[in-house]
This record gives sequence, structure tokens and C-alpha cells, in this order.
Amino acid sequence: MSAFGLDKITKLFQIIKVNGGIRASLYKLYRFDDLKDGKLVGQDDFGNKYYENPRYFFGRSRWVEYAPQFNMDYDGSQVPAEWFGWLHYKTDLIPTQDKDRPKYKWMLPHTENLSGTTGQYVPYSTTRPKVEPWIPKSSKV
Amino acid sequence: MQHTIKCMISTVSKTAVYSMQKGAPQQAFSQVRFTHLRAPGPCDQRKYSPFPKAKSAGQWVVMRLDDALNWGRKSSVWPLTFGLACCAVEMMHFASPRYDMDRFGVVFRASPRQVDLMIVAGTLTNKMACALRKVYDQMPDPKWVISMGSCANGGGYYHYSYSVVRGCDRVVPVDIYVPGCPPSAEALLGSVLQLQRKIKRMKTLQIWYRK
Amino acid sequence: MFRQPLSRALSLPVLGSPTRVARVCTSARSMQVQSEGKPQPEKVEVFIDDKPVYVLPGTTVLQAAAQIGIEIPRFCYHERLAVAGNCRMCLVEVEKSPKPIAACAMPVMKGMRIKTNSDLTKKAREGIMEFLLVNHPLDCPICDQGGECDLQDQSMAFGSDRSRFTDIHFSGKRAVEDKDIGPLIKTIMTRCIHCTRCIRFASEVAGIDDLGTTGRGNDMQVGTYVEKLFLSELSGNIIDLCPVGALTSKPYSFVARPWETRRIESVDVMDAVGSNIIVTTRTNEVLRILPKTNEEINEEWLADKSRFACDGLKRQRLVTPMMKSCSGELEPVEWEDAICAAAAAIQNCPPDSLVAVAGELADAESMVALKDLVNRMGSEHVYTEHIFPLQGSGIDLRAAYLLNTKIANVEEADFILLIGTNVRYEAPILNARIRKAYVHNETEIALVGPEVNLSYNYMHCGTSPSIVQEFASGQSSHPVYQKMMKAKRPMVIIGADQLKGPEGMSMLATAQQLAYNLEISLSDKNWEAALDIGYKPGASDALQANPKVVYLLGADAGYIDRNMLPKDCCVIYQGHHGDSGAEMADIVLPGAAYTEKRATYVNTEGRAQQTLPAVTPPGRARVDWKIIRALSEVMGQTLPYDDLDEMRMRMCQISPTLVSYGETDTNSFMPEVIQLSCNYQKPLSCELDVEMKKLSDYFMTDPISRASPTMAKCVQAVHKQETNPY
Repeated sequence: MSAFGLDKITKLFQIIKVNGGIRASLYKLYRFDDLKDGKLVGQDDFGNKYYENPRYFFGRSRWVEYAPQFNMDYDGSQVPAEWFGWLHYKTDLIPTQDKDRPKYKWMLPHTENLSGTTGQYVPYSTTRPKVEPWIPKSSKV
Repeated sequence: MQHTIKCMISTVSKTAVYSMQKGAPQQAFSQVRFTHLRAPGPCDQRKYSPFPKAKSAGQWVVMRLDDALNWGRKSSVWPLTFGLACCAVEMMHFASPRYDMDRFGVVFRASPRQVDLMIVAGTLTNKMACALRKVYDQMPDPKWVISMGSCANGGGYYHYSYSVVRGCDRVVPVDIYVPGCPPSAEALLGSVLQLQRKIKRMKTLQIWYRK
Repeated sequence: MFRQPLSRALSLPVLGSPTRVARVCTSARSMQVQSEGKPQPEKVEVFIDDKPVYVLPGTTVLQAAAQIGIEIPRFCYHERLAVAGNCRMCLVEVEKSPKPIAACAMPVMKGMRIKTNSDLTKKAREGIMEFLLVNHPLDCPICDQGGECDLQDQSMAFGSDRSRFTDIHFSGKRAVEDKDIGPLIKTIMTRCIHCTRCIRFASEVAGIDDLGTTGRGNDMQVGTYVEKLFLSELSGNIIDLCPVGALTSKPYSFVARPWETRRIESVDVMDAVGSNIIVTTRTNEVLRILPKTNEEINEEWLADKSRFACDGLKRQRLVTPMMKSCSGELEPVEWEDAICAAAAAIQNCPPDSLVAVAGELADAESMVALKDLVNRMGSEHVYTEHIFPLQGSGIDLRAAYLLNTKIANVEEADFILLIGTNVRYEAPILNARIRKAYVHNETEIALVGPEVNLSYNYMHCGTSPSIVQEFASGQSSHPVYQKMMKAKRPMVIIGADQLKGPEGMSMLATAQQLAYNLEISLSDKNWEAALDIGYKPGASDALQANPKVVYLLGADAGYIDRNMLPKDCCVIYQGHHGDSGAEMADIVLPGAAYTEKRATYVNTEGRAQQTLPAVTPPGRARVDWKIIRALSEVMGQTLPYDDLDEMRMRMCQISPTLVSYGETDTNSFMPEVIQLSCNYQKPLSCELDVEMKKLSDYFMTDPISRASPTMAKCVQAVHKQETNPY
């Protein structure tokens, strides 16, 4: 079978099936330019789904499918920090399995890169301003 | 008289107070309120078009036309091969199959007449600055600049050198700054994606229509 | 190679120095004689490097060389100071002379053959340089003079290429303890090469014999003899004079190198003289202010307030528009809101209740714009803050409020009568001129008014103005009057302080009458542009007449008080510093200071000069006339100028003198002024008094210098010196 490459075709149909039919597969292909089958490893707070399939070459064997609300407006910064390590092979343990991860109450929820919107990060200056403004006298102080 | 003033005073901006206390950069911050799009929440459903809802049919049409124009522009950002220093090696990695810039429609061109994007990859020396500006001026509009690496962002390691421009934004207007020394090819890839997002927000026809 | 341009050395025969007082006097007189067609003294021929040059007898070798473009190196020699001849750097070989001579002190002789580039000359220079450097520390990298140091430059040009200095292993270099001579000048006395320029400046120009030398030979030190502060209103100039880094600017210490900075030529506005300045900036920050040579105005000196108050430009600035909120406190707002509120306030105001007041730091452009705007609203109430008598010719004729002569002409006067003025602090540069006339031309000076230290001797005629009337009547047996009558070119200077009171008009009329019998009159404060444009002086009357809107254009002198105004009055303040004006305002519009805009200022001579923008206005502050232009557009009364050129065209329509930069108008209608004002002579009873009597009064007089920490330190230092001198 493999001699004629038929196993590849079988695989293709398998992948389409796993991804939920032709329509769903085409939609995924449109969004991600890629179509793979894999084991759903976990899901983060935004709804991004993380998959793994060791059959693929190292470097491609772990991937993320961004949550549907992101539509075409997804980018790497939408992967939260706790999943970043797993996705980049820094660890094999997914966040829920890893007990040693630090968890402090001052840690903020992850935000994506909001450059170009009103939420963008603007650095504050640490240098003394060159001009000292006049602050009007206030009766409150 | 006092009454008029009291009416007007309702629009006191808190950012202005903040800017007074903190100095110059905050002014950029308050400007953002007027020029930038609203930040989306993490759970908001995002449309393809970044523009807000149209208020009239005419506006809707120009918005869609803008979307089409921007789609064209963002899908074929052609950068100029403008390697200045070690950052250029990472830029080559970006071109090579592992990061494969061609899949984004990013193709290096050797002539400034054919490009939309200049990636300033490396230390910009005083001597090179005039050449850089000349090349920038030769590029056809619309054009964008990515400042790649510490040296191009602000002089970097060579900030105190007598022969280096302290940031290529002193010479050309920069759209995207990529931090790193040098930034990985992945970071550069990220910057190109950021630039595509930026292009997607361009309002060429909407501004024309408003006029 | 040389910091100073060649042409300066050439100007000497007129300027002179005390050692040649006699000669200068004759030459000054001979200048008048020349114009009358009498023969000049015969010129002598000398040869410099075999080039013949004809010069007047008495010229020094150094000047003769300068005439054909040969610069002889020097340290102690300075064109405006006496010749000392102690640095020996200007040694040149003269044929048939057994040893090299000092070019700066040697007058030329007929047929002299001077070699400025011979082996002997070179060897002499190299030797002198070696001796100078024996005791000069090699700390150029940490020296503030580095990059603008005469010693550095000349040792590169004339010094040896290798060192023979081995004494460092034995007795080492000379070291001298630093002196504390005040908050403005930093001394590193080890670097001193004893050129004595500072000493000569202090005693000749500033008129303070505080500096001097002690010890001799290797132990010689420049200092103040006993530990005290060098307190002069011209002290900053010794920083420029010092050829090495011994005297440097304290506020500027370790701030920048000269090659990093950008230099923009501008005009000073701190006093009525309008000194020409160079504003040194880096990264949009004014670092220091240096004088720019202008023989007509400030020569190359600069008063301390003009030089050191520039750090006040970075403090107490208005950076954002502000409005009074419901709680009655000023809060920052957007430009749009502030302009709209101001426009609404002015529009809702009945024409007669709109009053505009311009302060002394306002530029001509913004004053023209504001006057146009106010007139369009139907009001004629535009005023300056300072008071000037309106009767008689009032402000219709320029001659009534200008100096009516050039500052440079002060040198030629042979008698000067000062009426109720302390020129030394009101216009230090003018005082330096008077002192120069006093020292070089033996000009006699008399003063009516409080007895103040003017840095030269004068005849004091009491504090009562009646004596001026006595002089004016033409019948007086007072010795001062006799001298005044005998003088060929007398001059009368009246202080602006005297024109404020109820008897101001009478005072002015009397002075003008007196001046008519003689020649010249003057008032000094920075208001000439305002009066040229047609601002009426003294706003107090209009302010008491229930104004609804008061527009203050940089009016900070404190003449206007919130309590004077009705409660529902809206005060709009436009200016660059948060001071008394901004404190009482309902709407604050931030403007630009004089270093931040291209603007026209008129000095006391009536000379229009323009400042150039050295830095950008801070924050959201904008150029003043543009603010008013924007306001007019919001009000629907758009003023018909969009850019500076059109603005200047409008100014030209009002008065062409406002745009003829750098020139003074010699035409004056003095006789007419006197005719108009002669009826207003009344008996004077008050005592004359001046605002600035002591040096501590001098430093903080306007919003910029009040905001300056350096000026505050100066005042403290003066107080300390006064209470506990040693």
C-alpha cells in the first residue's frame, strides 16, 4: 500500500475526518494555512487549543489552534506564558501537570500585544524631565 | 462668564495632569487616545476588518475598499535588502526556508524603486545615514521602516560612539522597532506580522473620502 | 587657532586702555578733528615678515601684524583691557634687537623689521609654552574649558612635540588652593597662568578692585586677597576672558563640551539694552548663554542676569493650558477647551470691558496680534504694565520714550547727568559704557537721586528733583550746572522708576526741557516695542473701571492684583512662567520664552532685534502670536496673517522700525516732544528713589530670573556677604 503512496491519501482523509469534515478542514486551512491531526493536550483561558502529535518532526509536533474569537487576528503573543514553555519544548509538562511552577498573587493575567490600539504599552521615562512645570497652588494641599 | 468656564471644564483630561507630573513621554500617551483604535478585550469576537462599525453606507463602502486595498498591500510587503551589520545575518535566516518569509509575500528586492519596506538591519553609522535617507527617499509610497536591533533602535552598544547615529529614527520615520542584539529571525518575523497588522489599519480611502 | 576673530585686534585705536589714556583721548578728539578735515598724524612704515604695512604711530606690533592678517599668539593681551605684557607668549623677533620683544606692549618704530615666523620667534614661543605648562595641570579631560581653551589650542600650534618635564619626580607641579568667589564662578586656581585678564577686567570694566595678585614668582596667586565673594553684576565675563580653565561657570560645570552643542544667535530680554547673545543648546535644552560681540550694544560683555538666569527657563514653566475648575483651582485642560473658553469669555464681554495688558517680556509679534484682536472686538484698552506719563506728547512720538542716542555714543559724552536711576543694576551694560567713558575720556558724571554705588565717582546733587528744575530753568549757580553748560556733548539719563508716580509727567517734562537745553534723554525699561505698537502705558485706570475680561500677555510684574478686579472678571493669562499673573488667572495659555521663538524685541535705543528659536517650547506651550491667531479664528475674527512673514508685514504697517532689524532710527522729534510737554512742568516735591539699590535687588526682577535657582543662590550669597563679610 505504501508503495503507491496510498497510505498518504488514507492519512489525508483521516486528518479531514479528525478536523471535522471538509468544510471545517477548509476553514482551518484558511485560518492557519495548515491541517494536522493530533492529540488535544489542553486549553488555556482564552480558548486556544494546544495539540501534540509526535509523528511530525520535532519543531512541528506541538502547535496551537487559536480560539475562534480571534478569527484572523491571531498572533504569537496570544499564547500565555505558561503554555509558551510547552509549545517551545522548554518543558514537556503542560501547566496543569507542573506542580513546581511559581504562583504568586501579584502575577497578572496574560495580555496580548496591544500595539497600535489604545491599550498599547507606552514606556515611562526614568529620567528627570528637562523642564519643571509650574504646578498651581492648591488649597487642598 | 464663570458659568461658561465651568461648562467647559467638564472635559478636563486626567492624562494631561499625569503628563505634567511625569514629563514628556506621557504626551505621546495622551495622543494615543485620539489616533488609535480601541483595544479589543481578550474574549471579544474579532472581525477581519479592524475598522469600527460604519455610520453610513458610503462609509461602509470605503471601509471595504480600504480592507481590499490593505489586504493587497499587506500580502506583498517587499523589503529592501539593506543589511548594515550582524542583524543582517538574522535577516538572512528570516529569508531562508526555516522561517521562510516568502509565505507572507515578503520578497527581498534589490532596488529601492520596487520596495515598500526597509528593514534597517544593524548599526547605522553617520557615514551610512545619508545613504539610508537617500534610499528611503527613493522608495515609492506607501513605505514602511522596520528598525531591527538595538543599534538601529537607539545606537545600542555603539550609542556613545562618535560615528554612530543614535537610532535610525533620527533619520527616517520608523514603524516597528524590533528589540534584540541581534533579534532572532523569529522576532523579525513577528515584526513583519505586526507591520501587516499595521497596514491592515490604514485608512487611505477613508481619509480621501472624508476630504 | 584663535578663538577671537582677527578683526577685533584692529579695532583697538578707538577703544584703548588706561595705559594709553592720554593717547586715546587725543585719538578720540582727533576723530572729531578728522571729520573736520585736519591732517592725521603721519603713518609710519614697518615691515612684518618683510611685508610693508603703514600704521599710526603708537600702534603696537601685535596690532600692526593683525592689520595684514598675521595673528601673533597671546594670553594676557586683550583688546578691551589694558596691556599687561606678562604672559610673554607674543614674543617676536625684531631685527637689530638683541632679544625677542613682546609684541603686545611694544609700539612700532619707523622701519622696524619684525619676524613673526623666524626660528628665534618659534623657539621663544616654544620656550614660553614649556614654562607655562610646567605648572599647568594636564587635566584637560576633566576641565570645563577643554575644547575652547586658548592654552590647549596654542600648545598644539606653537608648543613642543615632546616633554622635557621631569620635575614631577622631585618637587612636582605647583598646586594652588581654589578660591570661593561666589555662586557663579568656579575657580580651579592650579590651572591659572597669571595672565591677569580677570584682574584687569574687574578693575577697569567692572570697577571693583576685588581681584589681585599676591606673592611673586612661583608663589604668585590670583585671588581676592582675603576670602570674599566677587560680587559684580558683570562677573560672568571673567569666565569668557580666562584663556584657561581657571575660571569656569559654576552652573555650567561638567555639563557639556563645546563640540556637542549648537549655538544660536539671539537677543537678551532681561534688561532694556538688548544685548546680543549666543544661546548654547544640546538636546533641546538651553545649557548656557554667552555674549555675542556687537560693538553698538554690548561690545563683548554680558550682564550676569542675562547670562546665568537661563536655568530659570527650565523651572516653573507653563507646559499645558489650564482653567479654573468648579472648585476654583487651576487644572490642566486641552488646548481646544482653553481656547474655546477664552474665545467665549471675550465674545460675551462688552467691548469696553475688555482689557489687555502686556508685560515686559512680551514680544512685538504677540503684542501686535493681541492689539489687533482687541481692537477688532471694539475695545481700545491695550496697556503695558509699566507706567509712563500720558500727558504732553505721551507716546505719540518715539523721542519721548527712547534713549534718543546710541548706546555706543555714551562713550563720546563728556558730561552725563543721571536722574533717579541706578544704571548699574537697571542696565549693567550701559553702566559699563559710562564707566568706560569715565575711565578713558574723563567724562564727568553727576547724579540726582539716592546715593548708590555706580562703580565710578560722581558728583551727587541730592535726592530732591527740584534741583533738576533749577537746571532746566537755565538759571543755576550750582557747580554741576556750570560744568554741564561747558560740556560739548552732555547727556541726561532719567530712570524709568521716576515716571511712575503722580509727578512722573512733570519729572519727564523737566528732564526733557533740560535735555533740550543740552542734548539727550532716556528712560530704561523693556517696553519700547509695546509703545511703538500703540499700547498705552499703565493699566490701572482701566482695571478699576470694572473690566469683564482681562487678557494678560506675560504681565507678571505684580502691578495688577486680583483684588483690584471685580469678582466676576475673567482673567486670561498668556505667558511662559507660572508667576503672579498665572496665579490669579482663570484661563492660562502657555506661551514660549525668548529662547523658543523667533520674535522681535526693541531695546531702549529703539533698535529692533529678533531672537531665534534655540529650543522648542516645552510641553504643549506654543509660540505666542500663534496662540492669539488661533484664538481669533475660534472667535470668528480671524486675524489676517497666517505665517511669520505676513505677521511681520503687519508689523511693518504699524511701524517700519519694528522690522528694520539691527538698526536704529536717528530721526527724533525731540523739539516737538518738548513743546508738547513744556506745559506740564510743575513744582516737584517728592524725593527720588530707585527700586534696585543693592546688588541683591538686581538678580531677581522678572519671571525668568525669579524661577532661576542660580539667581536665588546669588541673592543668598550677597546677603551672606553683607551680613558677614569675612
